[in-house]
Amino acid sequence: MEKMGIPAVPVVTQAFKDLARSNAGKRGMPHARITFTPHPVWGKTPEQLWGYVTGNDPVSGKPMMKEIVDALTTPVADEDKKEGMANVSVGPPMFGPDTADNLQKHFLNNGMTDFLPVIIPTEEKVQAMLKGTSHKPDEVVGKMAAGAFAPWTYTVRQVAVNAVMAGCEPEYFPIILAIASSGMAALGSSTTSFAYSMVINGPIRDKLNMNCTIGAMGPFAQPNATIGRAWTLIGKNLGNGGIAGDTYLGSQGNNTNYNNIVIAENEKDSPWTPFHVQKGFKPEENVVSLFSGEDLRQGHGAKHAGVLQNPMFDEQISDIFHTLAGLFGALVICDPLTAKRLVEQGYDTKEKLVDWLWKNTTRTAKDYRDSAFVYTFDYPRALRGEEPYATWYKCPEDTVIPWWPKADNIVLVVAGGQTNPFFQVGNLSYRVSVSIDKWM
Amino acid sequence: MKRRKLLSLLGLSPALLAGATTADADKTPKNVKPSDVGQIMAANPKGTPPPVRLVPMAPRLDTLDGKTIYLVDTGFMGGGLLLQQMQIWFNKNMPSVTVVFRKKAGSYMEDDPALWKEIKAKGNAAIMAVGH
Repeated sequence: MEKMGIPAVPVVTQAFKDLARSNAGKRGMPHARITFTPHPVWGKTPEQLWGYVTGNDPVSGKPMMKEIVDALTTPVADEDKKEGMANVSVGPPMFGPDTADNLQKHFLNNGMTDFLPVIIPTEEKVQAMLKGTSHKPDEVVGKMAAGAFAPWTYTVRQVAVNAVMAGCEPEYFPIILAIASSGMAALGSSTTSFAYSMVINGPIRDKLNMNCTIGAMGPFAQPNATIGRAWTLIGKNLGNGGIAGDTYLGSQGNNTNYNNIVIAENEKDSPWTPFHVQKGFKPEENVVSLFSGEDLRQGHGAKHAGVLQNPMFDEQISDIFHTLAGLFGALVICDPLTAKRLVEQGYDTKEKLVDWLWKNTTRTAKDYRDSAFVYTFDYPRALRGEEPYATWYKCPEDTVIPWWPKADNIVLVVAGGQTNPFFQVGNLSYRVSVSIDKWM
Repeated sequence: MKRRKLLSLLGLSPALLAGATTADADKTPKNVKPSDVGQIMAANPKGTPPPVRLVPMAPRLDTLDGKTIYLVDTGFMGGGLLLQQMQIWFNKNMPSVTVVFRKKAGSYMEDDPALWKEIKAKGNAAIMAVGH
């Protein structure tokens, strides 16, 4: 608006004061005239909102509407008429010399860690990490932002520094570079407290001794633990994410953000096609696939879970789906025993099971349309005529519709040590698959 | 503006920036050696932020009397209802102001160039709500 010559006032709720001001500065208008309302607005009655409008801005203490009128009519100061570029720096290339303890504190106190101790990235360690790839240290890997912010860029060397800090070995480095090249941050700014996951396929899993059997998603192998951690550090340091109240607004936070949900698919014990092959890669290629959304649900929560005889895992997975936000997809992680049982039920391919799950996990159009998330994200698509949302908004309330817009919203992978036929479901959407081999 | 305040608005820690130059975190240091036994150097893990292009604010209006103000619902939950109350306030307290309510197309993260064009052609000012 302001760029078009139209004076404008953004109205933001009080909870996002720091974010709003910081983002205005990053976008070149540090004194944008922002008015704040009490928080939240969502769920309030018209009477309560009338109280907001006729009350004071909770940040400035001034009457809200007078402040808005003043913001539109008070002349602009000379300082706010300026054009040009302002450079931004993030500090010197090296810190120190100092003791390891002091440097550890420096990293901690300046928001460069996940608040756990890091490996101090000495030049020696960074150089060793750089030997894990044939790419030059100054090659630009990509750009990343935690949300609707201007993205930061980074080189191979800058990624290496974060890989060292996370505790990675040099042979893991191509995976870290592949993740970084995706531009996908593992600390999104949303209030939703996102979770993130990666599925790793190909022979590199065995080469690195990644754990895909007993405790596959637990803290039982260095590559699984540190590769996931590196993704979080990359999001913080290379993408400027994870600054609480500024570039991170997750209301409750997410414990999986420490090292994310790392899944090395158990290709050897799986009766199905590996995930990367489903995505068009060759079996011998090394690929990392990234997901984002919400958390994991245990299959134990499904109706009829734990039935001793004839467990119907298709129905159990579908039952768990009913607890998921349709806003995101589903990442179903089956233990090999569960996958083999599903084959016995007739699902000899992942595609057959996905098709059944998509067709048999349903709800009414009324339930769908009552969702605030649907109103925010799907209703605008319906207004544009985009299918299936347009039909789902026009049809009678009692019409039965699929839980997910497309069968593709459901992904199956296999991981686990066959100690029991269990499964977990992530409310996670598939985003992208990236070649690891290109970064070797 | 004071340096510390500007840095704060840019979302950066002033402590990080002391004595630094643009994008210097990306440069490989030359001849870096610990000055004392037991002391080490550590690489800066930060990426390279883009430069900030300063955007001048639009000239303000002399008065709102007789002007047209667009109230733009960004699509976030509750924003439209808040703006409707604001519209009532204008009708009661500043009846000479023409208030036009519009819901921005798409979800709250999507652009709506057609609406911006309409406001540019027909409006004098805009109020957008709500940032959550």
